[in-house]
Amino acid sequence: MDLTLNDEQEALRTATADWCRDHMPLEGARSRPAGLWGDLETMGWTGMTAPGLDLDHATEAVVFSELGRVLAPIGLISTAAAHRWFADSIDGKVALALPADEPRDMRVLDPGGANVALMWTAGGLRLFDMPNDRTHAPTIDPSTDQSRQEWTASVGTKDAAAPLHLQLLAAAYAVGCADAARDMAADYAKLRHQFDRPIGWFQALKHICSDMAVRAAVARSQLHYAACSLDARDTDAAFHIAAAKRLGDQAALDNGRANIQVHGGIGMTDEAAPHLCLKRAHLLQFIAPADAALLLEDAA
Amino acid sequence: MDIGFSVEETRFREECRDWLHANVPAEKRPLDAADAIGFDKAWQRRLFDAGWAGINWPADYGGRGLSIVQQVIWLEEYAKAHAPWIGANFVGINHGGPTLILNASEEQKAYHLPRILKGEAIWCQGFSEPGAGSDLAGIKTRGRIEGDELVVNGSKIWTSFAHVADWQELVLRTEEGSQRHAGLSWAICDMHAPGITVRPIRKMSGQTEFAEVFYDDVRIPLSNVVGGLGNGWKVAMSTLSFERGTGFIAEQVKAGQEIAELVTTARANGMIKDDRIADQLSQMRAEVAALRAMTYRNISEVVRTGQPGPEASVIRLFTAELGQRLERMAVLLIGEDLIDFAYGDDNAVQDYLRGFASTIAGGTAQIQRDIIGERLLGLPKSR
Repeated sequence: MDLTLNDEQEALRTATADWCRDHMPLEGARSRPAGLWGDLETMGWTGMTAPGLDLDHATEAVVFSELGRVLAPIGLISTAAAHRWFADSIDGKVALALPADEPRDMRVLDPGGANVALMWTAGGLRLFDMPNDRTHAPTIDPSTDQSRQEWTASVGTKDAAAPLHLQLLAAAYAVGCADAARDMAADYAKLRHQFDRPIGWFQALKHICSDMAVRAAVARSQLHYAACSLDARDTDAAFHIAAAKRLGDQAALDNGRANIQVHGGIGMTDEAAPHLCLKRAHLLQFIAPADAALLLEDAA
Repeated sequence: MDIGFSVEETRFREECRDWLHANVPAEKRPLDAADAIGFDKAWQRRLFDAGWAGINWPADYGGRGLSIVQQVIWLEEYAKAHAPWIGANFVGINHGGPTLILNASEEQKAYHLPRILKGEAIWCQGFSEPGAGSDLAGIKTRGRIEGDELVVNGSKIWTSFAHVADWQELVLRTEEGSQRHAGLSWAICDMHAPGITVRPIRKMSGQTEFAEVFYDDVRIPLSNVVGGLGNGWKVAMSTLSFERGTGFIAEQVKAGQEIAELVTTARANGMIKDDRIADQLSQMRAEVAALRAMTYRNISEVVRTGQPGPEASVIRLFTAELGQRLERMAVLLIGEDLIDFAYGDDNAVQDYLRGFASTIAGGTAQIQRDIIGERLLGLPKSR
């Protein structure tokens, strides 16, 4: 039993954080450069657990929470899962389709540059062709576009681990998003002065930040445990991953709101970054959501 | 990262489970400290005789000298087996003993540690004072040095088990005119010494478990000072990291049992059909899982680096607040029966009333938030 990062995981985590800081900072989330996707593929993040790289989910979760921290493209989640489960039938970027009931139009997130979309349901993953003549519309999250499409021919996998994998990656994004809001709030609380001192001196503000740290730490611990349970193919992996997603989503949302409060006036502007975390958190809630009934089932 | 246990650890877990299965007493531990003292001492002795006391304490002083992971396994199995709370032995086993291991002289350790492990000596903690609660460095109880003795005057409060204790870990001001953290000493005080008066205090849950302690020219040999005169603050703080490591495992396992019982109860009485209740239950179920993950992560950090990680302070706050939310939910689920609560009842209402202590004792939730903000996030110190 060891839930600390090993040397290789720590090295990958640091390398990811460093690269993101230089090439994909959070502040640029609403207008990423055109060639970014190619860079993400080069970095190997589109297929860490796919045949070839074959890394474990624990390592992947660590890296994806770093990517989530800078609000990296949503399409990375679906692409990484698709490369693991549909390695033979795809090439390049895969967009993310939200679950929908046929024949209702499906909503596809981050469609730019993708020819196929991956739909998550609790029972499996399915891959759909995307029409060429489609229009892209904005979402609440300024970093993510969407398109709508009818149901098309699809291939699917019923491997129980496949939807868990995508849910784990979405949970990692949420944990990263919660981390980002916490750090942004703490940094601002040290920088901003009122009453001749940093606002973080005041317990009213300090304790908001402390609660953000608690939520992020709790969610991250569960994420790592959940990733290990998927690697071990534990019978209760589904429970642990659902718990990680639930806590990650909750932390991302609560921290997103708290971060805006700590920032005060600037926090509610379009120009400052806090709203980006909040809006990402709202979007993530709809991606592979945790099933409350599963969380109430008897533990294995 | 991995969540598996070694073959040796798994075998150890089975040993723990087997022994507990055969030996956990059938009768319940009495609620009041005065009634429970005989029970507590007998149970501790039984643990010691079977080799389960002080699993990670040094073998030279009666412990087993095993790893922290084995200690965790024992504590998990202990709670799973519904073994009784160690009660009056709590301070000696979880705080006084570990402080002695880290700071005391050979003579002090040789005398006290085996007695703690055998349940022969009950310890209490004399830290808080009427004027020094969250602001612990405001301690005013003073010890005047006279020859080879300290002459102690003052008072302590919220001292758990003081009325049944033999020894006390007493933090007092030994340097006249000293301020704050300086000039304090950590001394072993004989609770049977002349000049000590104990006034037991009843809690709102009904138990008489803690007390106020008055010192009127109490004489303590200077040889009972641990870690040197004037080093009391350092000595007192040395075991805080221990508390944040394995100190809460029993509560965490108990939280897992509680949430399972709550879900069962809510299903049985139909209250789970209330979406708000179902939502809270599922949230807490996830949180209990995360608490275990966070504890394992912290223990892994101790194994890897020798000390708990920076997030250890989070565990304490989260354990306390989650425990209280579970207790509130339990009270919600019993509904109108709450009205029948009477002192002496050992039920969910009692747990709920007693549970208010967990965000107050040993550092309030507000002090914990200060610590997290300042040490984990680097925010400026408010005090």
